[in-house]
Amino acid sequence: MPARILIVEDSPLVTDAFRVLFTAVGYEVDSAATVAEAIEQATSAPVDMMLLDLSLPDGNGLEVLKVLRKRGSLPRSTLAMTGHNDLASRRSCLEAGCADVLLKPVPVAELLRQIEHHLA
Amino acid sequence: MSMSERVGSAPKGRLKKLEAQMEETQRTIDELRARDALKTQFLSNVSHDLRTPLAAIITHAEILRDGMLGELNQKQRDSVAGIVNGGQQLIDMIDEILTYVRSASDQVILARSDFNITELVDQVRALNQALAAKKHLTIERLNGDDLPPVYADRDKVKHVLGNLIGNAIKFTSDGGRIWIGFSRRGREREEVVVEVGDTGRGIARDHYELVFREFAQVDASPSRPHHGTGLGLAIARNLVELHSGTIWVESELGKGSRFFFTLPLNPPRD
Repeated sequence: MPARILIVEDSPLVTDAFRVLFTAVGYEVDSAATVAEAIEQATSAPVDMMLLDLSLPDGNGLEVLKVLRKRGSLPRSTLAMTGHNDLASRRSCLEAGCADVLLKPVPVAELLRQIEHHLA
Repeated sequence: MSMSERVGSAPKGRLKKLEAQMEETQRTIDELRARDALKTQFLSNVSHDLRTPLAAIITHAEILRDGMLGELNQKQRDSVAGIVNGGQQLIDMIDEILTYVRSASDQVILARSDFNITELVDQVRALNQALAAKKHLTIERLNGDDLPPVYADRDKVKHVLGNLIGNAIKFTSDGGRIWIGFSRRGREREEVVVEVGDTGRGIARDHYELVFREFAQVDASPSRPHHGTGLGLAIARNLVELHSGTIWVESELGKGSRFFFTLPLNPPRD
């Protein structure tokens, strides 16, 4: 069965680009544009990889991880995506349980490599 | 009206006029400050909003370029690679604007630590090696192996070095030389002076101040040979001044430039 990727990102343009990419390489793709939607999606069916944008309209992306941890439905792996890569936000992502933090825009080859690596 | 009243009333009148003028000036200053803050906020919002669709464009172009939706022929691949490169260049410029806005705001918090400045310089040199090699430029570090650690925000110092070395590469013609050197100053030699020098086109004395001003470029014409946001040195100045350091340039037209900035070597003693 193909791995399920959940894209959590509030820009439909970016979500579409990722959807094209992940579908092309054979992943199953779902998306969420808010913290609330992401929690709903991740609890409805197990997620293998969550790509998590940090600034969402209804809160910080890391909130998603907090709630999912409480509910025992954390994805197998989570990669955070951020527009600015400062040490403080990197640290809070890793502490919240992200496997790594990627600087947007992530080159597609790098993104696919990271996903494969963390799903292995 | 007596003589004394006339003498006394003249200065009083002038004082009132002066006070009114001062109030007026203060109002103008306040208004300009408010407008400046608004402009900065606008710059920040627009930059951020430009970044997102641009990121999507780059991702789509990379998907095509890397043949994930079917193999392209060489010409198609080159063309799409042009979209990726152009987009990446735009993102870099937007990021520079965002860095500037952040470095100029009062809310920047420095994450200071002790680190080896020569190691950082070598790292930035390595990052710029490919760009320098394209123009047959050498980037060497002259000294510094015996320096004690500096006490500063490593990421921010890296940014300053990146901007100075990047500029040196940009403004030095083929076959030139770029170097980084260190010296110490202060009563207890508590500061390190970092020098980034080049054999490039140089800067006229009249422009020493101008180059550190935001958006200023010595050649600001649309046909200028070197493009950019004109923020690199303004960012460098802001980041150095956040460390209570100073930054300056010594140069002569046609004879290269030497940029200097200072950093504290030790944490300040209480």
